[in-house]
Parts: sequence; C-alpha cells; structure tokens
Amino acid sequence: MGTRTVLPVAAALGVFLIAWKAVVVIGAYPVFILPAPEVVADRFIRAWVEGTIQPHLAGTLQEILLGFATGAGAALLVGYVLARSPLVERLISPYIVAAQATPILALSPLLVLWFGPGLLGKVVICALIVFFPVAVATMVGIRSVDKRLLELGRSLRANRRQVVLTLEIPAALPSILGGMRVGVTLAVVGAIVGEWAGADRGLGVLINLARGSLFDIPLLFATLLTIALVGMALYLVVVLLERRFVGAR
Amino acid sequence: MTPGARPAGGPGGATETGAIRATGLAVDFPLRRGGRLLALDQLNLEIAGGEIVALIGPNGSGKSTLLRAIAGLLPPLRGTVELDGVPITGPDPRIGLVFQEPRLLPWRTAAENICYPLELAGWDAERRRRRLAELLDLVRLDPSAVGSRPFELSGGTSQRVALARALALQPEVLLLDEPFSQLDALTRERFDLELLALWERSATTTVLVTHNIAEAILVADRVIVLSARPGRVVADIPVDLPRPRTLASLEDAFVTRAAREIRAWLGESSGEASAEAAVPDATVADTTVAGAA
Ligand SMILES: Nc1ncnc2c1ncn2[C@@H]1O[C@H](COP(=O)(O)OP(=O)(O)O)[C@@H](O)[C@H]1O
Ligand SMILES: [Mg+2]
Repeated sequence: MGTRTVLPVAAALGVFLIAWKAVVVIGAYPVFILPAPEVVADRFIRAWVEGTIQPHLAGTLQEILLGFATGAGAALLVGYVLARSPLVERLISPYIVAAQATPILALSPLLVLWFGPGLLGKVVICALIVFFPVAVATMVGIRSVDKRLLELGRSLRANRRQVVLTLEIPAALPSILGGMRVGVTLAVVGAIVGEWAGADRGLGVLINLARGSLFDIPLLFATLLTIALVGMALYLVVVLLERRFVGAR
Repeated sequence: MTPGARPAGGPGGATETGAIRATGLAVDFPLRRGGRLLALDQLNLEIAGGEIVALIGPNGSGKSTLLRAIAGLLPPLRGTVELDGVPITGPDPRIGLVFQEPRLLPWRTAAENICYPLELAGWDAERRRRRLAELLDLVRLDPSAVGSRPFELSGGTSQRVALARALALQPEVLLLDEPFSQLDALTRERFDLELLALWERSATTTVLVTHNIAEAILVADRVIVLSARPGRVVADIPVDLPRPRTLASLEDAFVTRAAREIRAWLGESSGEASAEAAVPDATVADTTVAGAA
C-alpha cells in the first residue's frame, strides 16, 4: 500500500475521531455515557497492559474459529449437494431458510440450554450463523460453473474427484469466498451473542462485566473496539485469501 | 518419439491407426418444451487413418454435433461411430478435441492449461514439464506467454494453447471445431498453414470443421459437405492438390472448380440465403458464381 491509499484512510480516521471528540465536548457527556476517544484509547492500552482483555479475547477467538470452521465446512458440503441435486434442494432448503429467518438472539438461550454454557454451545451458535451465507454462496457458485468447462473435463475423462477439485471448486471459489466474507463477520456476532446467553469467559462476558459489576464504561468501549478489530482482522484474512487464490482472471 | 509423431505412415498417406467410421449415425437432443430435435440422421462417413478432411455445412447442420459424437461426448440415437473398428462409447485419450472457443480454465496459466490433460491422466511433474516443452515447440507458442492467464492472451495465442492442450496426450485423431473462425483473415491463413505443417509432421487423422471454402480446400484431402438439419453427408469432394501446399496452391484452376462444386452442394442443402452465410470470406477466386447448379 502506497501513500496514495494510506493518506485517505488516515484522513478518514482523523475526521471520525475529531467528530467523536466534538460530540463529547459539545454535548458535555459524562464519561459513563460517552467517553472521549483519548479516554477509550488510554483504557484500551491499559486493559491490554494489565492483561484484562487477553483471556477473554482468547476465549472468543476460539469460539469464532471453531464455529466458523465447522459452519463453513458443513456449508460447503451442503451447498454442493444443494447445487447438484434439485430434489435435495426442494426437500431441505425450506428448513435452512426457516432456521436462518429465526433470529439467532432468540435461539441462543435454547442452544446454550442444550449444549451447555461451555465452548460447545458457542461453537454451535457460530456455526449456525456462518452456515447460511456460505451454503448459499457455495450453491450459487457451483451452479454457475460454466457447462462448457465441465464438458471439457468430461472429454478429458476427469473423474468425479478431479471434476470437483480442478473445475467446480476453482470456478466457484470467488462466490464461496464472498460468502465467507459475510460469514466470518457474522461468526463474531454469533460468539458475542452466545456469550451473553451464558458464559464465564469471552469478550461478550467482559462487556457485561464492564457495564455491570465493574461499571467501567471506558473498558466497555475498549472491549467494543477489540471486537471490531477482531471482525476487521478476520475479514482481512478472507480478503487476502481471495487475492491469493482468485486474483485476476 | 518426436513431438506428436507416430510411427506409421507418412504425410497424407494412410496409417493403420486413427481411422474413423460413422455408420447410419443419428443423434438427437431433448428439447426444453418437450419432444426431441434430430441433429444428425443417416450419416455415413469414413475417414482413413492419417487423413485430413474438412467438414463444411450450413449453420445448425450438426457439424459440432458430429465432432462431439466422434469425441464420445454424445451417445448415438442410432448407428455407430468406430475408431479403428471399435465403437466409441465415451471420451477416449486417442481423440483430441479443439472447441470453437479456446475454452481455457481462467484460473490457470497457459502452461497449466496445456498440462491439464496430463495432470488428469496422472503424469508426474517432471514428465509434464518435458511434454510441455515439446508441445510449446509443436504449436509454436511464444515462451513468454506460458505464464500468462487466458484473459491476457490474444485470440490466436489462446487457440494455440487450446491446440497444444488437445495434442498433449498424443492423440491419433484431432478434431477441430471451427478453431480459427474468430481470428482475422490473415492470422487465420497463417494458422491454416501451421496446422498443415503440424499434420504433415504427425500424420494425425484430422477433421477440421469450417465455414470457409478456401480454408477447406487449402487444408483438406477431402471436403465433406453436410446437409441442412438433420445433417447427413451430401457430398464428398476430393481435393487433388499437390502437397506440401502453400497459399499459392489456391491459385490452381482446380480450386475454382472445387469451390464451385462445394458451393453448389451447400446451396442445394440449405437454400441460397444460408449458402451465402456459410461462405463469409471471398478468398477464393470466382466467388460470384451462383450456388445451386
Ligand atoms: N445440447 C443441445 N441441446 C439441444 N439442441 C442442440 C444441442 N446442441 C445442438 N443442438 C441443435 O442441434 C443442431 C445442430 O447443432 P450443431 O451441431 O451445433 O450445428 P453446427 O455446428 O453445424 O452449426 C442445431 O439445431 C442446434 O440448435
Ligand atoms: Mg458448430
């Protein structure tokens, strides 16, 4: 990245911080309603130095990564089958859509009840929320594979495995990674929601602590900032994968 | 073995392998609104091993369908297609196919596209690398293009890559479906001559589908004319021009006569309008001679 991209990004960030500060000053908000950016920055650094955030971050990251891996993995398989079998699509897609239409917030207490307040419950919630966008993207991607390329594969006697690995997956990859971009940010949401429904560790728990027993609103904001950074970092990983594997075509 | 070369036979001479025979061939397609469309019917065709023939016919006469049937991609409704006396029941490594469009995998480089059939056939990397070098030489692909993706390649270069890919497994039969139709006239002539040189070296049985009468005459031992749908062979015109051929071969008086005959058959098989459409280029002298004789 050259100065050409760094400069506008830095400028936009500057404008955002100045606007934030202006709102705090003009509105004369107390720190427990809206702390100023430098207060949040200070608390953010202190929380990291004191090691307040790390164990919670580790817990949340673990939930996100396991949940994303299982959810996206299942979605790849199911999306593929949905794309290739109209019968299966007709039979099970109503249930998938219904599951997606039910807010995860409403489902999460039930899931925690079933799978317990430990890691498993959160992984299930993350996996569920990741599943839908990745499954749909996979289905659309596999369906849109150029028939002529499949005919080429057939003329070269590609077996089932080779068709999947050398034609269908590469052709569907841009679509699949697009679904994963959405999925990975939703996984963050899933983890926090799951932690609210009952947990002893995680950034969602830290938010509750900061708002409740600790009543440390700057820490609440520092935690929100951490969550946002996690989402951005994961999103960036998918974008980099996309650059690496899709690139220019 | 030298690149693409096969032991038996010589330029233009019959070899004992790569002979194609279609007998009473009929191929149909299901239509979306029900019923079936008969694309080929009662088609009989015999091509000797090592021969090069051109296949010409009006649009929709089933030329591509015939190539697909020979390539084992379409099961016949009736009749058979045989390769060296054995019915073709599916895709066969002895048959190489170049589609009308290059049909390259956009996520692979030119070299990776050429090696794709070798990969599918389970060749190891070292063997693939050696074969790639031979193929680049065979189709005269600019070495600087091998690392490029298809979207960076010109139409001509893409078609060279597609040709190299079709030749990768050293087929005995090479089927080309209007391979040069998207190239400009000059580039197409150069490709025709290169194709001839390639064929003269390898003695691979070659079937070239074309819209262009001049191209057909320049390249082929015989020009086979298909009727309008359902396609069958209506004329089989031998081209008695000496080899090796050059563009000057087209100045032979024989060419005018052959072109007139082909055009007459095309006119008869499709009516005037489509006969004209089937002959877009006016490279052959005396193109004004009317169709239906
Ligand atoms: N997959 C298919 N499904 C239905 N009809 C087809 C299919 N392929 C070709 N046809 C029809 O068969 C006829 C012959 O097509 P084709 O072999 O492509 O002709 P040509 O190559 O001589 O122009 C055309 O009428 C075409 O519309
Ligand atoms: Mg065609």
